[in-house]
Amino acid sequence: MRALLLALLLTTPAAADTAEAVHDQIRPGYAAFAEAAQALAALDSCDPDQLRPAFHAAYDAWLSVGHLHLGPAEDEGRSLAIHFWPDPKGLGRKAQSALLTGDPAALQPQAFRQQSVAARGLPALERLLYPAEPLPADACPLIKATAADLSDMTGDLASAWGPFGDLLLTAGEPGNTSFLSAAEARQALFTQFAGGLEHIADNRLGRPLGTFDKPRPELAEARASERSLRNVTLSLKALRSLALALNPTIPKTEATFDQAIALADTLDDPTLAGVADPQTRLKVEILQQAVRATRQAAIAELAAALGVTLGFNSQDGD
Amino acid sequence: MQRRAFLGTLAAALAPKLGWADVGSPAFFAAGKQGEAFFLHGLSATGGSLFQVPLPGRGHAAAAHPTRPEAVAFARRPGTFALVINCLTGKIAHRLTPPEGMQFNGHGTFSLDGGLLMTSEVIAETSEGRIGLWDTQRYTRLTDWPSHGIGPHEIKRLPDGRLAVANGGIRTDPVDRTKLNIPDMRPNLTLLAEDGAPLDQIELPDLRQNSIRHLALSGDAIAFAMQWEGDQAEPVPQLGLWTPGSAPILCEPSAKDAFAMQGYAGSVAATLSRILITSPKGGAAMLFDGSGKALATHRRADLCGAATTPAGFVLTDGNGAIWTADDAGLTPLATGTAQWDNHLVALT
Repeated sequence: MRALLLALLLTTPAAADTAEAVHDQIRPGYAAFAEAAQALAALDSCDPDQLRPAFHAAYDAWLSVGHLHLGPAEDEGRSLAIHFWPDPKGLGRKAQSALLTGDPAALQPQAFRQQSVAARGLPALERLLYPAEPLPADACPLIKATAADLSDMTGDLASAWGPFGDLLLTAGEPGNTSFLSAAEARQALFTQFAGGLEHIADNRLGRPLGTFDKPRPELAEARASERSLRNVTLSLKALRSLALALNPTIPKTEATFDQAIALADTLDDPTLAGVADPQTRLKVEILQQAVRATRQAAIAELAAALGVTLGFNSQDGD
Repeated sequence: MQRRAFLGTLAAALAPKLGWADVGSPAFFAAGKQGEAFFLHGLSATGGSLFQVPLPGRGHAAAAHPTRPEAVAFARRPGTFALVINCLTGKIAHRLTPPEGMQFNGHGTFSLDGGLLMTSEVIAETSEGRIGLWDTQRYTRLTDWPSHGIGPHEIKRLPDGRLAVANGGIRTDPVDRTKLNIPDMRPNLTLLAEDGAPLDQIELPDLRQNSIRHLALSGDAIAFAMQWEGDQAEPVPQLGLWTPGSAPILCEPSAKDAFAMQGYAGSVAATLSRILITSPKGGAAMLFDGSGKALATHRRADLCGAATTPAGFVLTDGNGAIWTADDAGLTPLATGTAQWDNHLVALT
């Protein structure tokens, strides 16, 4: 009898934490992203003005799952192909310019998905819908190919999260060699969560901030479409929801999130261009500090509640 | 002669010569953490712990004596201890401390005949590299050689006795490991003769911020694994192959996995036909063929330790699992003994 009870205890399904995150956040998030990308691809137009609202809707939808770089997002380099940024060497622009003037056969769906990850996805569409300078050829075929490819990838992601989500939900059960315990599933999600906050602080805010002597406003994410700050705000909100799905009782983490989101909401600077001005720069720096404080609070509170730590070796470095 | 010392000598002379078979022929060594305590484990080919010895702090890598059942456990960098462990008794036979002003740097190796232990070291103030030499009869310090670079990390003995040294190039604060020279670091890979004389050296002029840190042997080639200190948004290779006498080859990951390692390789292991690097930061292992072509990427959180057996690759992770790895994927071998530290060392 005791053995039976023990066996039952050991095979208890994944706790609410992972289940909440998968059922309430991740799967619906990918489904909405796929829907938005499909709507964008379905528009029969190459007029930037006609496409921009759907482009923004797809970008917004991506931000609710863009911090997830595990499972289906890693397969086929999808995460990179959906959002290749930062791109300090301008690889995306170079690859796109070759596609604009090259053999149109490369724009066929099968061929296009073999193209450089830098030439695909949301930043690639942004360069076509908000060109910084006149494009060397008619962008219409490339816009259509890029939007169709994005739609395909997001569809693949949404369906692959069925079986991959099941792996998280059955962590520790016999035969599941992806997640050997429920704690490993929680740790995987927490790692993505913490990495998401790090990305906001180090890249979304840190790259344009540069240094005081050398601010780099031109490095802000999605500057052409004036989404730089919006991306920060939406990803903070998405990460807040993920944290609360993983554990609803995290008052300190919630407070630091609210502080950071309030700072972002009051920052009237869509492209973060203010980083070049000492007065307004300070506001971006304070927001960056608030994001880092949120990560620290979550490591202290949420990770403890989940019984996980950031990796034993990954944090060591040697 | 003191009576006790005389008896000791006598006992040693009379005792049958004991070898690795007498401790269950461990296939690997790995340091790990259990609760708040640290241990060095001798592991069987199937990943079971044959014996464990407590360590005073977090371990890093180990080296096994070629014949005697003796292993040396190295502290993580900057290292104040290396322990020579008698694997028969589980007792610490010798505690090695680096000379005043020097620090161990995490790795070491034995000479071919086992007569010498070589340890990777730095002068604490400057991070200038040294190779410490120890006589393994009583583990007395003999001398040290220059490593011909800054911040040496892994050192690897070639089958002919030459020594490959990964000079990581990073000057660090002697106390807190803060990196002090990232903008102008210059890592190199140095080959030393059996007597410590420098034979050859390579640098990567276009990738000076790629710290060369870990080594494995694939036939005549030295596989070297790197850690990128430059802009994390730049895709750079984490693996190179160098056959002394020719130019090094850089092994690019496939484009879709360009950032899978997050610029960081934690360990490298190699057979004649395959080279494998791990990244605990990226949660991935990447396989290459003998010419350096990327073949596959497998995902697993906090993977770091990597070693080879005649059957292929074995990997360890910080969640306590041990895996075999091949082109097709990872297969669990054992779980639950300890959170495994950075390195898995095969007894060869």
